[in-house]
Parts: sequence; structure tokens; C-alpha cells
Amino acid sequence: MRRLLYLTVAAILAAACSGSTTFVEELPDIYPDYIGVTIPAGIAPMNFNLPDGYDRVFVKVTGSKGGELKARGRWASFDIRKWHRLTEQNAGGTLLFTVLGKKDGRWTQWRDFIMYVSDAPLTDYGMTYRKMAPGYTTYSRIGIYQRDIHTFDEEPIIESTLAPGQCMGCHTANATDPSQFMFHLRGQHGATLVQHDGVRDWVTTKTDSTIGNVAYCYWHPEGRWFAGSINPVRQSFWTGDRRTIEVFDLASDVVIMDTRDYSLVLDPRLMTEDYLESTPAFSADGRTLYYLRAKAFDVPAQVDSIKYDLMKAPFDAATGTLGEIETVIPASEEGYSVTFPRPSYDGRWLMYNKADFSIFPIDHKEADLWLMDLQTGETRPLDEVNSPYSESFHNWSSDSRWFLFSSRRADGLYVQVYISSIDADGHCTKPFVLPQKNPRKYYHDTLYSFNVPDFTKSKVRFRTRGTYREVFSDERVQATVK
Amino acid sequence: MSSLLGAAVFAFWMWLYPQGLNYQEQNQLFLFTWDYFAGRLALPGGLADWLSEGLVQLFYVRLLGALIHAVLAVLLQLGVWKAAGCAGREKDRVLYALSFLPSLLMLVHMGDVEVLMSFPVALLIAVALCPLFVWAGWHRIWLIPLGWWLVGPVIAVPVAVSCLRGRKWSDLVMLLWLVPVFFAQYRLLAAQYPPRDALFGLNYYRLVESLPALQPVIPAVTVVCIVLCGSGLRLRNQLAVDIALAAVLVLGAAGGTALSYDKDTYEVLAYDWLIRNERYGDVVKRAAKYQPRNPISACSVNFSLFMERQLDARLTQFYQCGTQGLVLPSIRDNLSDITSAELLWMMGMPNITLQYCFDLQESIQNGRKSGRFMSRIAECNIVNGWYDRAEKYLDILEHSLFYRKWAREHKDMIADEASVAADPVYSYIRSVRFRDDFITAYDALDLMMAVLYNQNNNNFMAAEYYSAWQRLKQWEGGK
Repeated sequence: MRRLLYLTVAAILAAACSGSTTFVEELPDIYPDYIGVTIPAGIAPMNFNLPDGYDRVFVKVTGSKGGELKARGRWASFDIRKWHRLTEQNAGGTLLFTVLGKKDGRWTQWRDFIMYVSDAPLTDYGMTYRKMAPGYTTYSRIGIYQRDIHTFDEEPIIESTLAPGQCMGCHTANATDPSQFMFHLRGQHGATLVQHDGVRDWVTTKTDSTIGNVAYCYWHPEGRWFAGSINPVRQSFWTGDRRTIEVFDLASDVVIMDTRDYSLVLDPRLMTEDYLESTPAFSADGRTLYYLRAKAFDVPAQVDSIKYDLMKAPFDAATGTLGEIETVIPASEEGYSVTFPRPSYDGRWLMYNKADFSIFPIDHKEADLWLMDLQTGETRPLDEVNSPYSESFHNWSSDSRWFLFSSRRADGLYVQVYISSIDADGHCTKPFVLPQKNPRKYYHDTLYSFNVPDFTKSKVRFRTRGTYREVFSDERVQATVK
Repeated sequence: MSSLLGAAVFAFWMWLYPQGLNYQEQNQLFLFTWDYFAGRLALPGGLADWLSEGLVQLFYVRLLGALIHAVLAVLLQLGVWKAAGCAGREKDRVLYALSFLPSLLMLVHMGDVEVLMSFPVALLIAVALCPLFVWAGWHRIWLIPLGWWLVGPVIAVPVAVSCLRGRKWSDLVMLLWLVPVFFAQYRLLAAQYPPRDALFGLNYYRLVESLPALQPVIPAVTVVCIVLCGSGLRLRNQLAVDIALAAVLVLGAAGGTALSYDKDTYEVLAYDWLIRNERYGDVVKRAAKYQPRNPISACSVNFSLFMERQLDARLTQFYQCGTQGLVLPSIRDNLSDITSAELLWMMGMPNITLQYCFDLQESIQNGRKSGRFMSRIAECNIVNGWYDRAEKYLDILEHSLFYRKWAREHKDMIADEASVAADPVYSYIRSVRFRDDFITAYDALDLMMAVLYNQNNNNFMAAEYYSAWQRLKQWEGGK
């Protein structure tokens, strides 16, 4: 019966198409732009929409290694199991999309397009991100969420409703492994939550010897240490029509935390008054600590003079101390600023942002992603993935064959997460925005930006029960200084 | 008597406190979309919340707002009286005046501007369900979780009424059944909320972590009223008791509202409402009679004086609190900066207006959006030429009732740059705004006004505000 129904529909559609279909040589104007992107097998269906006015869409997907899938409706929405089967069958091959759209009673067929299915699987469970309204000083709702990238399932890890009045900082797992992660709450009951294998501590990382709580953190691969920068963040606002917000630090230092007893290793070279030290990251082998350093200027008046260099120092995982510091990218000498260094977990690459100035590239339209080859030291802009709008926070998948990054390319304000793959030579593929069931509706209707995205190897386990009491009890582990 | 209650409540909102209607309306944005409906139903009490927001959007028209309040008050009173019939026997109903108590208490409670309409709506539905619960017997086992999901914890009202009516062990079981139902709902639907908020209602009050005393009291009193009204008490002189009760209720309601409706808060809300409706002269008249001594009122009155071309002449005749009485710094709440945002928009500072309006909207503590603030956010984006962003907001507003037409007109407008350029407001703001891009500072706002005036001598608002700023600075320094 069902088959008969399908045959009837197909026959009607075929008749309709053969009668009045217009063929155009152009590629279809689909949203999101998935034409020519490279996807991992098993990713959530790459549903897409045609422009407004097209009330029906018919899509046939043909795999280069076999298999076929069809979708019809108001937008292209693929059956998730069939989509997985098709992409897995065609790993290392291509998918050919034939698209027809109906507008004002007439069908149009565009030139077919291709989507590449990578032979590199993306085995991670999904990604985590913070969702918040992109704006100014106040946020009614913030939450840290996890999304299964193989389906459309999203669930909150923690939302601000559970910790009212506290601003929620970045969720940081250890190289995508959620068995060890942390995030910060800012506000009257602020603390850093550190969770190891389900056991959690609420830590006050501010001490008499430091200027505040740690903010931007990065785990040492062995899991005993994390490095963090202390950033008293402020915002100012521009008057013109090019941009609105400027985020800067009044001061900043880098410290290293021993999570065995929550003691801080302080290095005076990373806590200077004349310089701003920020945003540390460990190399994949844990033997090097990268961080940013900029000469301090009067802010906000001279905020455009603050340009960060990329620094590094050998790290001794036995003592938590640093060796001799050297400059990796002397960006300030060349008149720009480096931010968010992120070494790949295979030790091959280091991705970072480049902007005219500042540590916070999200509000800098010119901010782009750059890649450093850690074997040769060569750097280059990632033109394959950059856009005229801001590209900012980025992170690697657990096997470092994929990376994600945030971009404002959709409308210049609302940040979306894009995924791209990288090969052994450092060539990146055309990125695709995180798939959604009905992408145009989802992305157009949402009033949230996706902040600090990261891959997560497996599902994050966070117990909400008791969280409210723990936050407001103010029972904290006080960090000490070694 | 019910009509009298309706008339009194109608008059109360129509003429005494219409600003309360405006405040409620501007702190939510009801959308006619499935997602909006589903979003409300995702939490316990969601149906009552959705229905109430559907009603509150009508507060945009004062008459409708007052009418809705009146109808709800009357329905609640009639519902209590009707429920009393099932709690006892229809013919045994007594103490008619007591059936008015929940409605009057609700009126007193609504004096707190953060009380949401979903509370009276949920209570009304709960009271209306009393006859069903009395009749339902063991069906209550599924009616209770369903009811909790749809209207929230006030579902305890019909459960309690049916329990007191039946007085069987099965009724006690049903009462106890509320406990696992709460935990199940909390676990499934409200795990991201503090347990206390989930227990007393997630959407009855706008502020988080706050529990006004009357919120648990009113449902409890409602149960007592239903039971007493249906108790069949035989009184010697029932009429006299009713009259005495009515007198106590009227006096209590008058006293309660006098205490509950904070004069300064409602005066500030009145200024905001009048300014929204461009009735600047009325603000000045009100302030001449009584003006709260706080910066928000000073800011509103000074702005109204400017709009009435009296700022220079009458500045010192009204309460002043230094330069922040002219323009307030960024304050994280959903009220203080509205007037500042308005005047900075007119003066030619769309980016600060954008910041203020964004923060105002995000300061609505229950996470709702605002048609009023979102419209201005869209306008700021239009002035900046950021049409993609503006379109996003306009598309959302297009799903509302009262902002739909405006949104559609503006969507058409941004499709054609010439239309934007020809718009008198946007072209004016573009002509007077800063020509240079620099970082703003509240402390240097007077200098920024001077820059605006020097750029464009037609910007007399910047000049007048600059002048007033200097006078207030000197005055402050001279104190």
C-alpha cells in the first residue's frame, strides 16, 4: 500500500515535472550553502531550504558508490537513518544532489551539485557550546548545551535558570574528553566548577596573590594541570556604523592550577603589570605552553594599540613550572593581533585568529582564522574557510581531522558554528554550518549566538540535581598558591 | 454584585493604573507561532502561561486590558461560588461575599508589577476544574499530572477541594499523589530551575528566586473560601453577616491596594507610559503635582520638558539629581533606561540606544522579549544599514498582533534603500549621528553632545541637553 502511494506520488511528480519543468544552468540558491562542502559520514542530515517563494522542493541524492535518497516537502528534509546509510556507503566518495523547486505552480530544476563525503570519520559524539544573545552587558538566558552532531538532538548541560543571576563562562573539556571539564560562574556566587569523572568541586580560584578568578582555561593533556588567564573584562561601545562593541581586559595574567590540591603556580613573567598575558593553551604533548602577550595601554582610549603576540615556554609537568619564554608570532611588530591559539591534538597544527587589534575577535569583522604548521613554523590564512565577517573561536575534533569555528557570516551579528576538515597537508575543505532540521527557520528565528564551541568525544554527564544548592551555598574550595 | 466587582476592577485599571497594563505588555512578546506555543508548553504551567500572554498582548489597547482584568476577576469570583456548589450541596451555599475574596486578593497581589497574568489565569482554570475533580474519582490519577503540566502547582486547589469534599481515604491518596507528580514534573520538565521555583510556579512571577507572600496564600485562601462557601453553615442572620463580610472585604481591598500599589513605582511607570504615547505635557503636569525623587523620574520629566520646549526655563522647578537625571548610565533592569534610550535615539546616538534597548530587553528576568524594545532594536539596525539583522527582528515582530503591520512596512522599506533614505526619522538620525567612529564613555556624554551639535547645528537637542548638563554639573558642584 505504502509503495503504491509512493509510486503514485512519484508518477504525479514526474508528470508535473516533465510537463512544465524549467531547467536552468545555475546552481540552486540553497540555504545553508552546502554546495561543494565536505561532510563526515554519519553527520546529521544536511537539510536545506530554497529561497522564499518556493513552496515545494524535490531532491534526489545519488551516491557515487551507490545508494539513493529522496526528499520532498516544503524544504529538503532527509530521513535520518537513510541519510546515515547513504553517507556511510559513500565515505570517500561524493553525493550528487538533483534539486527541483516549485514556485507559482511551476517547477524549476537547477544544475546538480556535489557534496563530498570524507573518508575521515568524525567519531566524536557531538559538540558543546554556550548559547546567549549576542550583545551587550545583560543576558536574560544563557546556557551551555550539547548537541549530538549525528542527529538534531540538543540538550542543556546547565542553563542560567538553575543559577540565576550568575553569568556562565566557557565550558572547557580536556581535549574533547568530557570526563574532565570545567566552567565558570561569574557573579555574587561565582566559582569555577571542576569535574573529574563525575566528582565535582566548586573552586574559588582568586587568591590574595592574583587579580581575580581564572577565565580562559586550557587543560594539560595529562589532566593534572590547567592553565588559565585572569581577565577583568570590560566593554565599550563604538559610535559608528561599522561595529558596536569593543571588549578588552583592564589587566590580565596567566596562572597554572594543580587540580590535585587546587594550588596555583605563579610565574612573575606571566603576571607583569606592563603587559597583558592571556589565553593559554598546552601543546598536544603537554611540553609547551602557548599564551598571548601584549603591551598594556590605557583602555578604552588606546584599545586599538593593544596587539597580542603569540608566546611559548617549555612546561614541566612534574612541577608545573615554565622554562625560557620565546616569541612564536611577533604579531604586534607587524601591526596586528593574535588570539585564541589552539594546537591540534595530533601536534601538527596550531590554529589562531588574526585581527587588527584586541583579544576578542568576535566583534572584529576583519578577524580571520590562520594556521601554523608546527613542523615548519609557516603560517597562512585559512582562505578556504574565512569570510568577510568575523571568524573567531575554534577547536579541534579529538583526532584533529576536523575543526569547528564560530563565524558571523550569516548576518554580521549572530554567531553560527561551522565545521571543516583538514588533510595531512593542511588543506581545509569548504565549511558547512551545523545542520538543523529546518535550517532557515532555525537560524533566522533564533535570538542566540553559539559561543565557544568545542567537540565532545562523548556525551557530557552533568548532574543538575543539587547544583542550585551548591552554587548558592557558597561552599567553595579555596585555591592556594604553591 | 459580580457586575459591581467587574466595574470596579475595570475602572481601577482603566483610570487609576493604566500604566500597569503598559508595563505588562512591554515585557513580553506573544507570537502566533507553533514554536512559541511549544516553548511555553515545555514547562509546567505552560498552557496558562501561553493563554495569559495571549491576553496580555491585548493590553496594548488600554480598554482591552482593563476589560480583561475585569472579566478575569468576575470569572474567578463566579468560579469560586460555582465550585462551592460542588464542594457542598448547591442549595447549601452560604457566605456569598467570601467568593469575592480570591479576586480581591488577586487585585491586591497585582499591585506588584512583576506578578504575571498567568497566575490569575492558572488559578481561574484550577477553580473551574473543581467540579471535574470532585466528580473524577480515580481519574484524578492522570488528571493531576496533566493539570500540573498545563496550569502549574495551583492544580493543588481542585485536588484539595475534592479531598475536603470527599473525605475518603482515596482523596487523601490523591492529595499525596501531588508529591510524586511534582518530583516527576520537576525531573522531566523543570530540571534546569531551582526546586522552590518549580514548586511554587515557574511562570507566576517575573523575577527569579522570588516568592511573593501572596503567591502561596491566594490558592490556599481560595480553597478555604470554596469550602466555607459550600459548608452550609446555618447563621442566625445571614444577611447581616454577608453585609459585614462585604464591608470588611471592601475596606480590606482598599487598604491592601493602597499598600500594594507603590506610589513612586507607578508614577515612574506612568511617565514611561505617557512618553511611549508621546503625551509629554501630561508628564510635566503629573510631575508638577507629585514627582518621585529618583533618577528615572528626573530623566523622564527632563525629557518631557525638552519635548515641551521648557527644559531650559523649568529645569530647576523639578526634582534633579545631577547629570544622571538627564541621561541615565547603563542600568541592568527592564525599566530605568527606557527614557534615556528614547532621547539618545532622537539626539543621534543610535548605537547607545541599541545597547540600552538590548539590555532592557535582556533584563526581563523571565527571558521574554519585548515588542517595544525589539522594534527600536530593529530601527537602530536600519539606521546603521544592517538590514539583515533588522530583518531578523522584523520577521519575529511580524508574528505578533500589534507590531505586525509596522514590521511589514519596515520590511518593505529595507528592501529599498531609497525608502530608508527618504524616511524622515531615519534620514534625520543618519544626518545628525557621529561622523567619526570612536568609543563612547558615559562620563564624556556632554562632550559627545557637543560633538553632535558642532557636526550639525540643526541638532538643537544636543545643544539643549549639553547646556542642561553643564547647569546640573555646576549645580551639583555648588551643593
